This record gives sequence, C-alpha cells and structure tokens, in this order.
Amino acid sequence: MNDRSYLPWWRLDNAAKIFPSTSSAHDSKVFRFFCELKEEVEPAALQAALDRTMERFPLYRCVLKRGWFWYYLEDSPLPAVARPEDLPPCFPLYPSARRSLLFRVLYYRRRVSLEVYHVLSDGAGALDFLRALVWEYLSIRYPQAGLPQGGAPAFGVSDQQKEADSFQKYYEKPARRFGLDPAAYQIPGERLPKNRLAILEGRIPTASLLACARSRGATLTELLTAVLLRSIHEGMRVRDQKKPVVITIPVNLRNYFPSFSSRNFFAIIHVGYDFGRNEDSLPAVLAQVKRSFEEKLTQEQLKAQMNSLCALEHNFPIRMAPLPLKDVVLRWANRLAAHGATASFSNVGRLAMPKGAEKYIRQFGVLTCAGCLQACAVSFQDSFVITFASPFRSRETERVFFQELSRLGLDVTLTTNIEEEAEQHVVL
Amino acid sequence: MLFCEQCRVHVTGSSGRCPLCQSPLTGQPEENAYPVLRAGKSPLRLPLRLAALATVAVAAACFAINLSLPDTGWWSAIVAAALASTWLLLGVTVRKRGSPMKAIVWQLGAVSAVTLLWDLCTGFAGWSLDFVLPIFLPCVQLAALIAAKALGLRPADYLFSLTLCILAGFLPLIPLLCGALGVVYPSVICAGISLVALAALLLFKGAELKADAQRRLHL
Repeated sequence: MNDRSYLPWWRLDNAAKIFPSTSSAHDSKVFRFFCELKEEVEPAALQAALDRTMERFPLYRCVLKRGWFWYYLEDSPLPAVARPEDLPPCFPLYPSARRSLLFRVLYYRRRVSLEVYHVLSDGAGALDFLRALVWEYLSIRYPQAGLPQGGAPAFGVSDQQKEADSFQKYYEKPARRFGLDPAAYQIPGERLPKNRLAILEGRIPTASLLACARSRGATLTELLTAVLLRSIHEGMRVRDQKKPVVITIPVNLRNYFPSFSSRNFFAIIHVGYDFGRNEDSLPAVLAQVKRSFEEKLTQEQLKAQMNSLCALEHNFPIRMAPLPLKDVVLRWANRLAAHGATASFSNVGRLAMPKGAEKYIRQFGVLTCAGCLQACAVSFQDSFVITFASPFRSRETERVFFQELSRLGLDVTLTTNIEEEAEQHVVL
Repeated sequence: MLFCEQCRVHVTGSSGRCPLCQSPLTGQPEENAYPVLRAGKSPLRLPLRLAALATVAVAAACFAINLSLPDTGWWSAIVAAALASTWLLLGVTVRKRGSPMKAIVWQLGAVSAVTLLWDLCTGFAGWSLDFVLPIFLPCVQLAALIAAKALGLRPADYLFSLTLCILAGFLPLIPLLCGALGVVYPSVICAGISLVALAALLLFKGAELKADAQRRLHL
C-alpha cells in the first residue's frame, strides 16, 4: 500500500446523513453531556486526559467534508483542546468559519462538558467518550486513589467495533412505504435573541422518582413523558387542542440489536396525546403513554422504522442526486418532519462509572439543541438530572413540569443559566 | 442552597428569583454552574462596516459631483463599478478566510469574472482574453502550490483546489479554438504550462488524487 495516499475516512451513517444539511444557528444538532465533579477542574490534567482519550477514539479525530454526492468524515491532524467554557451551550460546530473537529471539551468550575455534533455520534456513543475522559482525568488528577488502569470504560471494544455503522449491519430491504405523520401542536412564542438556549436542570433523587413511577406501574420515562405532555397541555389555547401533543423519543437501538458502535444508532418513536378528545388527568395520560410505549418499543417496530429510513439512503436515484440538491430536499423534509412533533424527550438512562471513580463525581447531565423544546435526562447513582433546553423566552412548560413533580412529593433542585445577564455584576 | 417557598423547589446558583415563578428565594446563594458570557464580536466586523459606509459615501459624493457637472461624462459609474469589484473580491476573501485553498479557487473565479465584465462593458477590446487571463491563471496555479507548501497542508487538503486551478488553465483554449483571440501566444503558453502542471500532478500525486476523488465522489 502507498502510505502517503492512505487517509482514513468514513461514510456518514444513516441517521447522520440528514444532520449536515439541516443544521443551522437555531438548530445546531449539537448536544452536551456534562460531568460535575466534587472539586474544581484542573485544566492541565483535563488536557492530558483528553490526549489519552483521543488515542482510543480514532473516529473523534475527524472533520466533516462535502463530497459531490454525500458528506463524509475525514481524518484530521487538528488537535483536540480542552477550553474554558466561553460559548453559549450547544453553539454550532458545523458549519463554522474555520474547519474544526466535530466535538469540543469545555470546563467551568467543577464541570467538564463534552459537546458533540450529532453527525459524529449519538448520546450513547458520546457517553462512552465522556466516561473514558472522566476516568482518565480522575486517574491523572488523583493518582493516590489507585484507580485500576485496566478498568477504564469502553476498554475491550475494538476500534472497528466503535467505528461500525450498525444501521448498515441490520438493514434489510423493507416492503413498507412512507407516510407522513399528522401535524402536531407547535409551542408558540417569541424566541430568545441570538439563538440562545434557556437551560433549566432539575435534579431529583433517583430512588424516590423510581418509587413514584413504580407506584403507578410505570417506568421513569413513561411517567416523565406523561407529566411533560400534561405540562405542554397547560399552556395550550382551547382552539389549538384539536391537534395532538406529540413528543418524540429517541430509542437507543443498541438495546435491541447487539452493537458496540460509538456512532449513531438510534430510532425515534412518537408518543402523542389528543387532549381535545381525552381526559387530561395524569392516570389517563399515563395509561395512554404506557400503551404507546408497549406498541412501539418492539424489535419488529423499531426494525421496520430503521429499514424504511435506510431504504431512502439505498435508493439509487437519491444516491445519484448531487449534494446541493440533497441539501435542499433534506432541509424541506426536516421542516415537514418538525411539524409532526411538539417537543422531544430523551432519557439516556442509568450511567455507571467503574468502581473507585464514583466518589469524585457529583452528577452527570445532558442537554441538546434541536430548534424546539428538548428535555434530556440521565441518572448517576442517586441523582436523576432532567434538563430542559428551550429556544423560547417563555418557560411555562418547564414551570408546570417541575411544579407537578414537586406536587408528586419529589425533592427537585433546579440549576439554570437563565438569569446570567441580570447577574453580570455579581459573579464572573 | 436557595429555596422557593411557592414552588417547593431548591435552586442552586446565586439568582435572587425562582426560575419557575420568579418569587424571591430564601437561603444561601452559591456559585453559578454556567459562566456569564461576554458577547463575542468578530474583530473584522467594525472595520468592514466602516469601510462599507466609507464606500457608500464616496460613491454618493461622486454621483453628486457628476450630476452637478454633467458635461464631464459618466465617470461616476466607473468609480462605482471599481468600488463594487473591490468589494466582491474582498467579500470572497473574507468569507473563505478559514480555508486558504478554497479562497484561492474562489478568487480565481471572481477575478476572472470581474476582468471579463470590465472588458465587455468597456467596449470589448479583448485585452482580458488576450493577456490578463492567460497570465493570471498560471500565477494562481503557482500561488496555490506555494500556499499548499508554505502552510504544510496534507495532499487531501490541497489537491482538489490545486486540480481546479490547473484545469482552469485550459479555459483560454476555448476562445483560441473559437478564433476570438487577437494575440494567441499568451493563451498557448498558459495551456502549455497547465498541461505540464497536470502531468506533474498525476505523476507525483496520482495515488493521492485518486483516493481524494474516491472520497469526494462516493455514492
């Protein structure tokens, strides 16, 4: 092989193919995971940890490039640098004036944040990177703790397994045709200036939240989805109630199809509730949400959805269309799909760190930017953190949501970036 | 930690008001979890805006003087066209400043188009096709090569742009074959240089060029 001409590159996976065409300043398709430690972050140790982590995730050393027919990822010598947090949350990574890696590592006080462009990876994939990064950081920062070197997260998974495109692996040509989702209620309201996001994090003790859900015979995700549906309903005008409230919920396909990929591998299910025709009490909404989850979260249903999306990508005329044309069509399709959803809720689930590392970590959290109201949740030990990222000036949905959780007897602790402007004189 | 009596929720940070109901909070403020961000502005923004305003002022002054002195001919139109051309080239450069190789290709296109337009609008004496473009194109090829080497770029980062510059060097053959040229030898030399450059590219960077094409053209 001629070594000089060899340059690693990757095709985008099925889910990633839509993101470059549809990212914009108000919908950056960037998500953030943060890890709050018990002590302030030490920048030099974080940089050293990042360097070590990069060696184990070759896919993260890449930039996005435009081909003639598709975008693709190409290996890049750009260095990964841990920077102090100086940008608004989920600030666009692509397109940007200067070519950059598709993720950034930021720190502020006790928090380490990893922001990832969705083209590179989904939440579950990025979490592997963050866990490895935090592990490396802790083992550099606290050498006396004796964290075992072999115990880092995502060890034992080969580079090929991490880079695998699992959509391709499980794709079978489907017989089903496409249909459009009915239009869903859209939260109205003025947006924040400069495409800013209002972040509102709520920390709830996992055990009591779990007990609360179990006592209603539901899972955490089902309960919170039902509460979210009702919170959105609270702000609806009567004449809007003929439209259903629809929440999109990403599902990690790794739980249904074996895969160790660090790239995208998820599907999206729609859970809706028609408040115009049905009762708006929590038990009624919860019962309907549970039914939807049972119907939609089956391997056959998810496979059918995955296949129909992959079929588009395998369609020969679509593949032959030049990229500028694809950009236009995908942007239009994205706008059409956005009409079918009111908000989005993503529960990343329970996150574990290897033994010995937990005592340095206070909590993990996740948030994302996608143009509409987004709620994301992750749990670590006894802290379940649900984060709302909203482009709207009004935060009535969040208010009703957290007040309802508080009424359910849960102990909620809120953290926000909202009042930052008002407090410039207090803290920097 | 702070507490909101109305919503029965705890609040971290140093805010004086509840993020849900905006009532006053009780308890001890803490440090904020999110930094206060200063609005970052591009350093180019103010100079560019001032320059744009100055341009409009100059153009307006010229039109005013020209209208007052109608016997002097329509020289203000030439001033305005010159200012517009300058802004077009400046705009391309500023927009593509992140990737120098792309900037070179865009400048090649913009300069060629502006030159042709000037020639066409000033009576088409043919100087653009006869001299300017055949001399300009090999210079751009050389500039692209120097930029790629000086910046230490990898083949994947410059080959595509360099290839475009070299292929553009064959364009003067079109007016030559159509018989639209007054002076032939600059165009012939330009095409000759481009042919040698293309051969060198294929011989020395053929494998890299093929790999680059495979990436860019994958279906």
